[in-house]
Amino acid sequence: MTKSIGTDMVFARSNDVVAREIDGMLIIVPLTAGVGDMEDDLFSMNETGTAIWNMIDGKKTIKEIISGLKEEFIAGQGEITKDVTGIVEELLKRRMIVEAASS
Amino acid sequence: MKRLHPDYKRPAIIKNGISIPGTAMIEIMQEVLSRGMSFRFRAGGFSMAPFIRDGDIISVSPLSSIPPGIGDVVAFLHPETKLLCIHRVLYRNNGALMIQGDNLPGNPDGMIPGEAIIGHVTRVERSGRSIKLGLGPERIFLAILSRTGLLEVMRRCAVPFYGYFRRRRALCEKS
Repeated sequence: MTKSIGTDMVFARSNDVVAREIDGMLIIVPLTAGVGDMEDDLFSMNETGTAIWNMIDGKKTIKEIISGLKEEFIAGQGEITKDVTGIVEELLKRRMIVEAASS
Repeated sequence: MKRLHPDYKRPAIIKNGISIPGTAMIEIMQEVLSRGMSFRFRAGGFSMAPFIRDGDIISVSPLSSIPPGIGDVVAFLHPETKLLCIHRVLYRNNGALMIQGDNLPGNPDGMIPGEAIIGHVTRVERSGRSIKLGLGPERIFLAILSRTGLLEVMRRCAVPFYGYFRRRRALCEKS
């Protein structure tokens, strides 16, 4: 079941991933069953995704992430809100992030 | 003032076709191993052939409290080149290890300090199969053969049979 994402929710990066931004490229390796699998389980994100990932810090609410993204990119509020909640849902589904708290 | 990106693209997670530089891979491997977990990746090169071949998938595990021993295949950062190497321990001396690739006769990596070793190879996969030869108890024998140069002699002797065994395996896979 997919959890609905509220704009007051706060998310943090999961301890079960290793993520590194090297030369502007975000690399995420989930740690599954005691293995960091770079052969079959390697992920990256595009520029917008990377900007969102960097703001998921266990402190910022979804609302703040949306505002932060609006400061970086030229796009409508509605589009950004939909995209941020969408990617957060996907990251949650892949267990790359966890819910930290609701403010 | 912050510059706005005019080309807003929908955020996306990318899964396929990611090519990362070797330095990034080393960084990630070290992080994974420091958390006590294994690191699985595709090996490149021929220095450990025929036991590890180009394109094999290998798993590197963190070092246990027991330091690597003779015959173990270890992952280390070469102190001079800073490149990641996966080679076999030939012998130990005062905490340092003499390491050499199985397919690099007479060309050892030299005495590598223990702190340069980041993990040891615990699994090799080829075409979806686990390859055990070279990592079991025979590894000690292989280290001795490698040290004396006999591994290269045996490898040369075995070359004519490679085709035969390959054809035989292909037949077995078909049937």
